[in-house]
Amino acid sequence: MTMFWPYSQPEDADKVALVVIDMQVDFCAPGGWVDQLGEDIANTRAVIPAVARALQLARDAGMAVFHTREGHLPDLSDLPANKQWRTRVHGLGIGDEGACGRILVRGEPGFQIVPELAPLKGEVVIDKPGKSAFHATDFDQQLKSAGISHLVITGVTSDCCVQSTFRDGYERGYECVILEDCTAAVEHRNHAATMDILKAYGGRWGTVSNLTGFQQAIEAIHA
Amino acid sequence: MPEMFANVDAVPYRWPFNGQWNADDTALLLLGFQNTLVEALDAEAEVAVAARLAEAARKKNIPVVASRRGQVAGVPAVLQRQMLPGLITPERETEGWQLSAQFAPPGEISVVDHAGDNAFYETGLELSLRERGIRNLLICGLPTEGLVHATQRNANDMGFECLAIADACKGTSPDRHASQLRITTFGNGLFGAVATSDSVFRSLSRT
Repeated sequence: MTMFWPYSQPEDADKVALVVIDMQVDFCAPGGWVDQLGEDIANTRAVIPAVARALQLARDAGMAVFHTREGHLPDLSDLPANKQWRTRVHGLGIGDEGACGRILVRGEPGFQIVPELAPLKGEVVIDKPGKSAFHATDFDQQLKSAGISHLVITGVTSDCCVQSTFRDGYERGYECVILEDCTAAVEHRNHAATMDILKAYGGRWGTVSNLTGFQQAIEAIHA
Repeated sequence: MPEMFANVDAVPYRWPFNGQWNADDTALLLLGFQNTLVEALDAEAEVAVAARLAEAARKKNIPVVASRRGQVAGVPAVLQRQMLPGLITPERETEGWQLSAQFAPPGEISVVDHAGDNAFYETGLELSLRERGIRNLLICGLPTEGLVHATQRNANDMGFECLAIADACKGTSPDRHASQLRITTFGNGLFGAVATSDSVFRSLSRT
Protein backbone atom coordinates (compact mmCIF):
# COMPACT_ATOMS: atom_id res chain seq x y z
CA MET A 1 0.00 0.00 0.00
CA THR A 2 1.26 3.48 -0.84
CA MET A 3 1.44 5.99 1.95
CA PHE A 4 -1.06 8.82 1.85
CA TRP A 5 1.52 11.48 2.79
CA PRO A 6 4.75 11.88 0.75
CA TYR A 7 7.04 11.55 3.79
CA SER A 8 5.52 11.89 7.16
CA GLN A 9 2.23 12.07 8.92
CA PRO A 10 1.43 15.59 10.15
CA GLU A 11 1.83 16.18 13.86
CA ASP A 12 -1.79 17.18 14.16
CA ALA A 13 -4.80 17.94 11.98
CA ASP A 14 -4.18 21.68 12.33
CA LYS A 15 -0.95 21.28 10.32
CA VAL A 16 -3.01 20.28 7.30
CA ALA A 17 -4.83 22.54 4.83
CA LEU A 18 -7.46 21.31 2.42
CA VAL A 19 -7.04 23.40 -0.73
CA VAL A 20 -10.00 23.71 -3.08
CA ILE A 21 -8.87 25.12 -6.41
CA ASP A 22 -11.07 27.29 -8.65
CA MET A 23 -14.47 25.62 -8.19
CA GLN A 24 -15.96 28.71 -9.81
CA VAL A 25 -19.07 29.29 -11.88
CA ASP A 26 -16.88 30.16 -14.90
CA PHE A 27 -15.29 26.70 -14.84
CA CYS A 28 -17.98 24.37 -13.54
CA ALA A 29 -21.48 25.76 -13.68
CA PRO A 30 -24.07 26.14 -16.43
CA GLY A 31 -23.85 29.63 -17.89
CA GLY A 32 -20.23 30.05 -16.82
CA TRP A 33 -17.36 30.76 -19.20
CA VAL A 34 -16.45 27.17 -20.16
CA ASP A 35 -20.14 26.40 -20.72
CA GLN A 36 -20.54 29.54 -22.85
CA LEU A 37 -17.61 28.41 -25.00
CA GLY A 38 -19.67 25.34 -25.86
CA GLU A 39 -17.29 23.03 -24.05
CA ASP A 40 -18.50 20.21 -21.82
CA ILE A 41 -18.66 21.04 -18.11
CA ALA A 42 -19.75 17.50 -17.20
CA ASN A 43 -16.26 16.53 -15.96
CA THR A 44 -15.63 19.58 -13.80
CA ARG A 45 -19.19 19.55 -12.47
CA ALA A 46 -19.09 15.86 -11.64
CA VAL A 47 -16.55 16.32 -8.83
CA ILE A 48 -18.65 18.82 -6.86
CA PRO A 49 -20.14 16.15 -4.53
CA ALA A 50 -16.70 14.61 -3.93
CA VAL A 51 -15.15 17.99 -3.13
CA ALA A 52 -18.08 18.68 -0.79
CA ARG A 53 -17.27 15.40 0.97
CA ALA A 54 -13.58 16.39 1.28
CA LEU A 55 -14.65 19.73 2.75
CA GLN A 56 -16.82 17.97 5.30
CA LEU A 57 -14.00 15.61 6.29
CA ALA A 58 -11.51 18.48 6.68
CA ARG A 59 -13.89 20.71 8.61
CA ASP A 60 -14.88 17.88 10.95
CA ALA A 61 -11.21 17.07 11.54
CA GLY A 62 -10.34 20.68 12.40
CA MET A 63 -8.13 21.24 9.35
CA ALA A 64 -7.66 24.64 7.74
CA VAL A 65 -9.55 25.19 4.50
CA PHE A 66 -8.28 27.39 1.67
CA HIS A 67 -10.32 28.15 -1.45
CA THR A 68 -8.85 29.75 -4.57
CA ARG A 69 -10.42 31.72 -7.42
CA GLU A 70 -8.71 32.54 -10.70
CA GLY A 71 -9.46 36.01 -12.00
CA HIS A 72 -8.14 39.42 -12.80
CA LEU A 73 -8.55 42.97 -11.55
CA PRO A 74 -11.36 44.90 -13.26
CA ASP A 75 -8.80 47.09 -15.07
CA LEU A 76 -6.99 43.91 -16.23
CA SER A 77 -3.66 45.36 -15.10
CA ASP A 78 -2.65 41.89 -13.85
CA LEU A 79 -3.54 40.11 -17.10
CA PRO A 80 -0.61 39.17 -19.37
CA ALA A 81 -1.26 40.15 -23.01
CA ASN A 82 -0.64 36.61 -24.28
CA LYS A 83 -3.11 35.11 -21.77
CA GLN A 84 -5.86 37.42 -22.98
CA TRP A 85 -5.00 36.84 -26.64
CA ARG A 86 -5.09 33.04 -26.23
CA THR A 87 -8.56 33.12 -24.65
CA ARG A 88 -10.00 35.60 -27.18
CA VAL A 89 -9.26 33.16 -29.97
CA HIS A 90 -12.17 31.12 -28.56
CA GLY A 91 -14.53 34.06 -29.28
CA LEU A 92 -15.02 35.06 -25.64
CA GLY A 93 -11.86 36.04 -23.80
CA ILE A 94 -10.83 37.08 -20.32
CA GLY A 95 -12.29 40.50 -19.52
CA ASP A 96 -15.04 40.25 -22.17
CA GLU A 97 -18.70 40.62 -21.21
CA GLY A 98 -20.45 37.24 -21.01
CA ALA A 99 -23.66 35.78 -19.65
CA CYS A 100 -22.26 35.70 -16.07
CA GLY A 101 -20.55 39.07 -16.17
CA ARG A 102 -17.03 39.78 -17.42
CA ILE A 103 -15.03 36.56 -17.94
CA LEU A 104 -12.62 35.74 -15.07
CA VAL A 105 -12.85 39.21 -13.56
CA ARG A 106 -12.88 39.60 -9.78
CA GLY A 107 -16.28 40.33 -8.29
CA GLU A 108 -18.31 39.15 -11.28
CA PRO A 109 -20.99 36.42 -10.90
CA GLY A 110 -18.97 33.95 -12.98
CA PHE A 111 -15.92 34.44 -10.73
CA GLN A 112 -17.77 33.20 -7.62
CA ILE A 113 -17.38 29.75 -6.12
CA VAL A 114 -20.31 27.44 -6.92
CA PRO A 115 -22.94 27.60 -4.13
CA GLU A 116 -22.60 23.90 -3.27
CA LEU A 117 -19.01 24.55 -2.12
CA ALA A 118 -19.38 28.02 -0.65
CA PRO A 119 -16.61 28.93 1.84
CA LEU A 120 -17.59 29.05 5.50
CA LYS A 121 -16.80 32.01 7.73
CA GLY A 122 -13.14 31.87 8.73
CA GLU A 123 -11.98 29.98 5.63
CA VAL A 124 -9.44 31.81 3.49
CA VAL A 125 -10.16 32.62 -0.14
CA ILE A 126 -7.09 33.29 -2.29
CA ASP A 127 -7.74 35.31 -5.44
CA LYS A 128 -5.07 34.58 -7.99
CA PRO A 129 -4.18 35.94 -11.43
CA GLY A 130 -2.20 32.87 -12.54
CA LYS A 131 -2.58 29.12 -12.69
CA SER A 132 -0.63 28.48 -9.50
CA ALA A 133 -2.19 29.57 -6.20
CA PHE A 134 1.34 30.59 -5.15
CA HIS A 135 1.93 32.99 -8.04
CA ALA A 136 1.45 36.69 -7.18
CA THR A 137 -0.58 35.94 -4.02
CA ASP A 138 0.04 35.73 -0.26
CA PHE A 139 -0.92 32.04 -0.17
CA ASP A 140 2.54 30.89 0.98
CA GLN A 141 2.60 33.55 3.70
CA GLN A 142 -0.87 32.62 4.92
CA LEU A 143 0.02 28.92 5.04
CA LYS A 144 3.20 29.67 6.98
CA SER A 145 1.36 31.97 9.40
CA ALA A 146 -1.13 29.20 10.04
CA GLY A 147 1.69 26.70 10.65
CA ILE A 148 0.63 24.46 7.75
CA SER A 149 3.07 21.78 6.59
CA HIS A 150 0.81 19.46 4.57
CA LEU A 151 -1.56 20.27 1.66
CA VAL A 152 -4.45 18.14 0.43
CA ILE A 153 -5.32 19.51 -3.00
CA THR A 154 -8.67 19.24 -4.81
CA GLY A 155 -10.62 21.21 -7.42
CA VAL A 156 -10.23 22.06 -11.10
CA THR A 157 -8.64 21.64 -13.46
CA SER A 158 -6.27 18.77 -12.80
CA ASP A 159 -4.03 19.46 -15.79
CA CYS A 160 -3.87 23.18 -15.19
CA CYS A 161 -4.28 25.01 -11.86
CA VAL A 162 -4.32 21.91 -9.64
CA GLN A 163 -1.06 20.66 -11.16
CA SER A 164 0.58 24.11 -10.96
CA THR A 165 -0.33 24.48 -7.29
CA PHE A 166 0.81 20.93 -6.48
CA ARG A 167 4.18 21.50 -8.18
CA ASP A 168 4.68 24.88 -6.51
CA GLY A 169 3.74 23.47 -3.10
CA TYR A 170 6.48 20.88 -3.59
CA GLU A 171 9.04 23.56 -4.51
CA ARG A 172 8.25 25.32 -1.25
CA GLY A 173 8.65 22.18 0.84
CA TYR A 174 5.00 21.36 1.59
CA GLU A 175 4.00 17.72 1.63
CA CYS A 176 1.33 17.66 -1.04
CA VAL A 177 -1.36 15.11 -1.82
CA ILE A 178 -3.88 15.31 -4.68
CA LEU A 179 -7.23 13.57 -4.22
CA GLU A 180 -7.77 11.98 -7.63
CA ASP A 181 -11.54 11.61 -7.22
CA CYS A 182 -11.86 15.30 -6.25
CA THR A 183 -10.26 16.75 -9.39
CA ALA A 184 -11.03 16.74 -13.11
CA ALA A 185 -10.13 18.36 -16.41
CA VAL A 186 -12.29 19.58 -19.27
CA GLU A 187 -10.80 16.78 -21.41
CA HIS A 188 -10.56 13.42 -19.69
CA ARG A 189 -7.50 12.42 -21.76
CA ASN A 190 -5.53 15.29 -20.23
CA HIS A 191 -6.76 14.40 -16.75
CA ALA A 192 -5.64 10.79 -17.16
CA ALA A 193 -2.24 11.84 -18.54
CA THR A 194 -1.75 14.29 -15.67
CA MET A 195 -2.48 11.59 -13.10
CA ASP A 196 -0.04 9.23 -14.83
CA ILE A 197 2.71 11.89 -14.79
CA LEU A 198 2.11 12.83 -11.17
CA LYS A 199 1.98 9.19 -9.97
CA ALA A 200 5.07 7.94 -11.83
CA TYR A 201 7.76 6.35 -9.64
CA GLY A 202 5.77 6.88 -6.46
CA GLY A 203 5.15 10.56 -7.14
CA ARG A 204 7.99 12.95 -7.93
CA TRP A 205 6.30 15.98 -6.38
CA GLY A 206 4.01 14.38 -3.83
CA THR A 207 1.39 11.67 -3.73
CA VAL A 208 -1.92 10.98 -5.44
CA SER A 209 -4.67 9.42 -3.32
CA ASN A 210 -8.45 9.65 -2.98
CA LEU A 211 -11.28 10.33 -0.51
CA THR A 212 -10.95 6.93 1.12
CA GLY A 213 -7.25 7.53 1.68
CA PHE A 214 -8.00 10.97 3.09
CA GLN A 215 -10.52 9.55 5.55
CA GLN A 216 -8.02 6.90 6.69
CA ALA A 217 -5.29 9.51 7.04
CA ILE A 218 -7.54 11.61 9.26
CA GLU A 219 -8.32 8.57 11.40
CA ALA A 220 -4.59 7.86 11.70
CA ILE A 221 -3.88 11.41 12.91
CA HIS A 222 -6.57 11.14 15.53
CA ALA A 223 -5.62 7.62 16.63
CA MET B 1 17.41 47.97 -34.55
CA PRO B 2 17.84 44.29 -33.73
CA GLU B 3 17.28 41.73 -36.45
CA MET B 4 13.61 40.61 -36.47
CA PHE B 5 12.98 36.88 -36.82
CA ALA B 6 10.13 35.22 -38.69
CA ASN B 7 7.30 33.56 -36.75
CA VAL B 8 7.94 29.93 -35.82
CA ASP B 9 5.70 27.16 -37.18
CA ALA B 10 4.40 25.81 -33.88
CA VAL B 11 1.39 24.20 -32.21
CA PRO B 12 -1.21 25.55 -31.46
CA TYR B 13 -0.28 28.86 -33.11
CA ARG B 14 2.56 30.51 -35.03
CA TRP B 15 4.86 31.64 -32.24
CA PRO B 16 5.09 34.19 -30.73
CA PHE B 17 1.48 35.33 -30.32
CA ASN B 18 2.22 38.94 -31.36
CA GLY B 19 4.68 38.10 -34.14
CA GLN B 20 7.51 39.98 -32.43
CA TRP B 21 10.76 38.29 -31.53
CA ASN B 22 14.34 39.35 -31.90
CA ALA B 23 17.70 39.01 -30.19
CA ASP B 24 16.87 41.79 -27.72
CA ASP B 25 13.60 40.36 -26.39
CA THR B 26 14.27 36.60 -26.52
CA ALA B 27 16.37 34.15 -24.51
CA LEU B 28 17.12 30.44 -24.84
CA LEU B 29 16.82 28.38 -21.62
CA LEU B 30 18.75 25.10 -21.36
CA LEU B 31 17.30 23.34 -18.33
CA GLY B 32 19.03 20.52 -16.46
CA PHE B 33 21.33 19.25 -19.22
CA GLN B 34 23.56 17.79 -16.53
CA ASN B 35 25.65 14.64 -16.82
CA THR B 36 23.55 12.60 -14.37
CA LEU B 37 20.28 13.46 -16.08
CA VAL B 38 21.60 13.03 -19.62
CA GLU B 39 22.88 9.56 -18.74
CA ALA B 40 19.81 8.45 -16.77
CA LEU B 41 17.42 9.54 -19.51
CA ASP B 42 19.71 8.41 -22.34
CA ALA B 43 19.30 11.87 -23.81
CA GLU B 44 22.42 12.31 -25.96
CA ALA B 45 20.32 13.03 -29.07
CA GLU B 46 18.34 15.75 -27.27
CA VAL B 47 21.56 17.29 -25.92
CA ALA B 48 22.94 17.42 -29.46
CA VAL B 49 19.85 19.30 -30.66
CA ALA B 50 20.06 21.69 -27.71
CA ALA B 51 23.75 22.30 -28.40
CA ARG B 52 22.93 23.22 -32.02
CA LEU B 53 20.22 25.59 -30.74
CA ALA B 54 22.70 27.18 -28.34
CA GLU B 55 25.19 27.68 -31.16
CA ALA B 56 22.53 29.19 -33.45
CA ALA B 57 21.41 31.50 -30.64
CA ARG B 58 24.98 32.60 -30.00
CA LYS B 59 25.46 33.49 -33.67
CA LYS B 60 22.29 35.60 -33.57
CA ASN B 61 23.23 37.25 -30.24
CA ILE B 62 20.27 35.65 -28.44
CA PRO B 63 21.17 35.26 -24.75
CA VAL B 64 21.53 31.67 -23.54
CA VAL B 65 20.96 30.65 -19.91
CA ALA B 66 21.71 27.14 -18.66
CA SER B 67 20.20 25.82 -15.42
CA ARG B 68 21.68 23.28 -13.02
CA ARG B 69 19.61 21.54 -10.41
CA GLY B 70 21.62 20.61 -7.36
CA GLN B 71 21.15 19.52 -3.78
CA VAL B 72 21.48 22.32 -1.29
CA ALA B 73 21.92 21.79 2.42
CA GLY B 74 18.83 22.70 4.40
CA VAL B 75 16.28 22.48 1.59
CA PRO B 76 13.09 20.59 2.38
CA ALA B 77 13.46 16.82 2.28
CA VAL B 78 10.50 16.56 -0.06
CA LEU B 79 12.66 18.07 -2.85
CA GLN B 80 14.78 14.93 -2.82
CA ARG B 81 12.00 12.69 -4.10
CA GLN B 82 13.30 10.61 -6.97
CA MET B 83 12.90 11.49 -10.65
CA LEU B 84 13.50 7.94 -11.83
CA PRO B 85 14.01 4.79 -9.77
CA GLY B 86 17.15 5.48 -7.74
CA LEU B 87 17.80 8.88 -9.26
CA ILE B 88 17.75 11.85 -6.93
CA THR B 89 19.10 15.35 -7.46
CA PRO B 90 22.91 15.39 -7.81
CA GLU B 91 25.02 17.10 -5.18
CA ARG B 92 26.56 20.38 -6.24
CA GLU B 93 30.14 20.38 -7.52
CA THR B 94 30.02 16.67 -8.38
CA GLU B 95 30.72 15.35 -11.89
CA GLY B 96 27.08 14.32 -12.35
CA TRP B 97 25.91 17.82 -11.49
CA GLN B 98 28.03 19.48 -14.20
CA LEU B 99 26.53 20.64 -17.47
CA SER B 100 27.08 18.34 -20.43
CA ALA B 101 30.39 19.01 -22.17
CA GLN B 102 28.40 19.61 -25.39
CA PHE B 103 27.77 23.17 -24.19
CA ALA B 104 30.12 26.10 -23.73
CA PRO B 105 31.51 26.14 -20.19
CA PRO B 106 29.97 28.32 -17.46
CA GLY B 107 31.55 31.72 -17.85
CA GLU B 108 30.87 31.69 -21.57
CA ILE B 109 27.16 31.10 -21.01
CA SER B 110 25.03 32.32 -18.10
CA VAL B 111 24.18 29.71 -15.49
CA VAL B 112 21.44 29.62 -12.88
CA ASP B 113 21.51 27.15 -9.98
CA HIS B 114 18.32 25.91 -8.35
CA ALA B 115 17.24 23.30 -5.83
CA GLY B 116 13.90 22.17 -7.23
CA ASP B 117 12.34 21.76 -10.66
CA ASN B 118 11.56 25.40 -11.26
CA ALA B 119 14.58 27.44 -12.40
CA PHE B 120 12.78 30.66 -11.37
CA TYR B 121 12.08 29.73 -7.76
CA GLU B 122 14.40 31.53 -5.34
CA THR B 123 16.87 32.41 -8.09
CA GLY B 124 17.74 35.61 -9.94
CA LEU B 125 16.53 34.30 -13.28
CA GLU B 126 13.39 36.43 -13.58
CA LEU B 127 15.26 39.59 -12.56
CA SER B 128 18.06 39.01 -15.06
CA LEU B 129 15.62 38.31 -17.90
CA ARG B 130 13.45 41.35 -17.11
CA GLU B 131 16.51 43.61 -16.81
CA ARG B 132 17.50 42.64 -20.33
CA GLY B 133 13.98 43.25 -21.62
CA ILE B 134 13.31 39.57 -22.38
CA ARG B 135 9.67 38.70 -23.11
CA ASN B 136 10.03 35.54 -25.19
CA LEU B 137 11.58 32.25 -24.04
CA LEU B 138 12.76 29.30 -26.10
CA ILE B 139 12.78 26.37 -23.67
CA CYS B 140 14.44 22.98 -23.74
CA GLY B 141 15.73 20.56 -21.14
CA LEU B 142 15.35 17.41 -19.06
CA PRO B 143 12.98 15.94 -18.08
CA THR B 144 10.07 17.30 -20.12
CA GLU B 145 7.58 16.76 -17.30
CA GLY B 146 10.09 17.91 -14.69
CA LEU B 147 12.34 20.95 -15.02
CA VAL B 148 10.98 21.92 -18.43
CA HIS B 149 7.31 21.97 -17.58
CA ALA B 150 7.69 23.35 -14.05
CA THR B 151 9.81 26.23 -15.33
CA GLN B 152 7.55 26.89 -18.32
CA ARG B 153 4.43 26.92 -16.10
CA ASN B 154 5.97 29.55 -13.85
CA ALA B 155 7.31 31.59 -16.76
CA ASN B 156 3.85 31.53 -18.31
CA ASP B 157 2.21 32.77 -15.10
CA MET B 158 4.77 35.60 -15.16
CA GLY B 159 3.62 36.56 -18.66
CA PHE B 160 6.63 35.31 -20.65
CA GLU B 161 5.71 34.00 -24.10
CA CYS B 162 7.13 30.47 -24.10
CA LEU B 163 8.02 28.01 -26.82
CA ALA B 164 9.01 24.46 -25.82
CA ILE B 165 11.29 22.82 -28.39
CA ALA B 166 10.08 19.23 -28.45
CA ASP B 167 13.11 17.39 -29.86
CA ALA B 168 15.43 19.20 -27.43
CA CYS B 169 13.45 17.83 -24.46
CA LYS B 170 13.12 14.26 -23.20
CA GLY B 171 10.73 12.88 -20.62
CA THR B 172 10.99 9.89 -18.31
CA SER B 173 8.91 8.03 -20.92
CA PRO B 174 7.79 8.84 -24.49
CA ASP B 175 4.15 8.92 -23.31
CA ARG B 176 4.80 11.36 -20.49
CA HIS B 177 6.86 13.57 -22.82
CA ALA B 178 4.08 13.66 -25.42
CA SER B 179 1.27 14.11 -22.87
CA GLN B 180 3.00 16.95 -21.09
CA LEU B 181 3.57 18.80 -24.36
CA ARG B 182 -0.06 18.19 -25.40
CA ILE B 183 -1.23 19.68 -22.10
CA THR B 184 1.11 22.65 -22.75
CA THR B 185 -0.79 23.45 -25.94
CA PHE B 186 -4.34 22.72 -24.67
CA GLY B 187 -6.85 25.57 -24.82
CA ASN B 188 -4.93 27.47 -27.52
CA GLY B 189 -1.70 27.31 -25.52
CA LEU B 190 -2.50 27.39 -21.81
CA PHE B 191 1.23 27.28 -21.12
CA GLY B 192 2.58 28.42 -24.47
CA ALA B 193 3.42 26.71 -27.74
CA VAL B 194 5.48 23.71 -28.91
CA ALA B 195 7.68 23.41 -32.03
CA THR B 196 10.50 21.29 -33.40
CA SER B 197 14.05 22.60 -33.60
CA ASP B 198 13.79 22.55 -37.42
CA SER B 199 11.03 25.16 -37.26
CA VAL B 200 13.16 27.34 -35.01
CA PHE B 201 16.22 27.02 -37.26
CA ARG B 202 14.06 27.88 -40.29
CA SER B 203 12.79 31.05 -38.63
CA LEU B 204 16.27 32.10 -37.59
CA SER B 205 17.48 31.74 -41.20
CA ARG B 206 14.42 33.49 -42.68
CA THR B 207 14.90 36.86 -41.06
